[in-house]
Amino acid sequence: MKGKDLINIGIFSAIYFVIVFIVAMLGFIPIFLPLLAVLVPILGGIPFMLFLTRVNKFGMIWIMSVIMGLLMLLTGMSWPPLAVSVVSGLLAELVYKSGNYKSSFKAVLTSGVFSLWIAANYLPLFFAADKYWSTRQNFGQDYIDTVTKLMPKWMCPVMFVAAFVCGIIGGLLGKFLLKKHFEKAGIA
Amino acid sequence: MGGLFTADVENRGLVLDPRTKLLVMITLVIFALGGTGSDILLVRCVTVAVSVLPIILLITAGQRKKALLFGLIYGGIKLLEIFVVSKATGAALTVIGLCCMVFVRLMPGLIMGAYMLSSTTVSEFIAAMHRMHVPQQITIPMSVMFRFFPTVLEEFSAINTAMKMRGISLGGKHSGKLIEYRLVPLMVCSVNIGSELSAAALTRGLGVKVRRTNICKIGFHLPDGAVLLLAAAPYVLWILGMIGVVK
Repeated sequence: MKGKDLINIGIFSAIYFVIVFIVAMLGFIPIFLPLLAVLVPILGGIPFMLFLTRVNKFGMIWIMSVIMGLLMLLTGMSWPPLAVSVVSGLLAELVYKSGNYKSSFKAVLTSGVFSLWIAANYLPLFFAADKYWSTRQNFGQDYIDTVTKLMPKWMCPVMFVAAFVCGIIGGLLGKFLLKKHFEKAGIA
Repeated sequence: MGGLFTADVENRGLVLDPRTKLLVMITLVIFALGGTGSDILLVRCVTVAVSVLPIILLITAGQRKKALLFGLIYGGIKLLEIFVVSKATGAALTVIGLCCMVFVRLMPGLIMGAYMLSSTTVSEFIAAMHRMHVPQQITIPMSVMFRFFPTVLEEFSAINTAMKMRGISLGGKHSGKLIEYRLVPLMVCSVNIGSELSAAALTRGLGVKVRRTNICKIGFHLPDGAVLLLAAAPYVLWILGMIGVVK
C-alpha cells in the first residue's frame, strides 16, 4: 500500500463520517434511532462505491472499517462498534478480494458487509439496556419508553439484517450513480 | 469553519503533547459523555473538573470570549441539571434532558476536539502517533481525514447554496433530487482535491519505503503532568469506588 492509497482512505472516510454524523444527529428523535441502520448504509453506499473503484490492494477496506470503529469509540459509542468493525471490515475486504477487486457484483455485496458495523452501535441498547439508560436518564422517561418499545430484544438481529440489506441498496444506488455521473466524467 | 480546524501555531499558548490531549479527549468521552461511574459522587465531581478543562485550555490559547461563553453555558446547564431535573416531569424533562445531553455531556468533548485540532499540527500528530507505535496505515488516513473535514464542510455548504438557488431543496421544486445533486458534486470535488493532496504528500516523501524523520519536538513537560494527573483522577476514583473505598 502506498501513500496515495492511504490518502484515498482518509478522504473517503471523511466523506463517509460526515454522512454518519449528520444522520446520527437525527437520532435524538426516538423514531429515527432505529432508522440509522437504514439511512447511513443507503447514503454512505454512494461514496463507498466510488471508494471501491480506487481499491486495488489488500487492506484498504479493512483500514477504513477500523477507522470508523475508532471514530465511534472517540464519539462515545463505546467498544462494540470497534469490535464488530474490525471483523466485518476484514470480511468485506475478503469478499471484494474474491472478485479480484474488479467485480461490480462483489462490490455491491461488499457494501452490504461493510455496513454491518453500523448495527453494532445498538448492541449496548439490547444487551446492557439498564446500564445504557442509567447514563441517559436525562432523556426523560418518555424517550426511554418510546425507544424501549421500538427496540425489543428480537430487533437485534433485525438491525444487522437491515444494515446489510440497506448496504446492498446503497451499493446498487452508488453503482447507478457511478454509471450516470462518474464514468462520464472519467473519475470512476 | 476553516478557522476552527486549521492549526494556529503562533497563538496556541500552552503547548501540550498530542498524547496528553488525546487522553483528555478519551477521558471526556468515557466519563462525561459515556457517564461511566456516575453513581459515585467523587467521580461525578472530578468529571465536572475534567469537563471544565477544555474551557481553561481555550483561555490559554487566547480565545477568551469563546471560553467565557462556553463556561457560562456549561455552568448554567449543569446547575439546571442538578437542581431541576430531579423535579421535572413529562415534556419539560425531555426538553431539559436534551439540553443537558447536548451541553453538559457533548459540548466538553466537542470543545476539546476543536481545541485539539486547532493546536496540533499534522506533523506533531504523526510524530506522537509514531511514538505510540501506531502503524502508518492508520495514522496517515486519520491525519488526512481530520484535515479534510473542513474542506468537506466548506464545499458542502457551497454546494448546498448553489442547489437551493436552483430549487433543489426541501420544499423546493426538485426536492426529489435533494440527495443525488448534493452528494455527487461533493464527491467529484473531493476526489479532485484528494489527488492534489496526494501529489503534495508525495513531494514530502510519504510514499517512500525508508523511515521518515520528524523535526517536531514532542514530549511531556510540567503542564502535561498537571493535565495528566487531572485526567487520570476519574479512572482512579472509579476503581476505588468499585472496590468500595470511596463513595
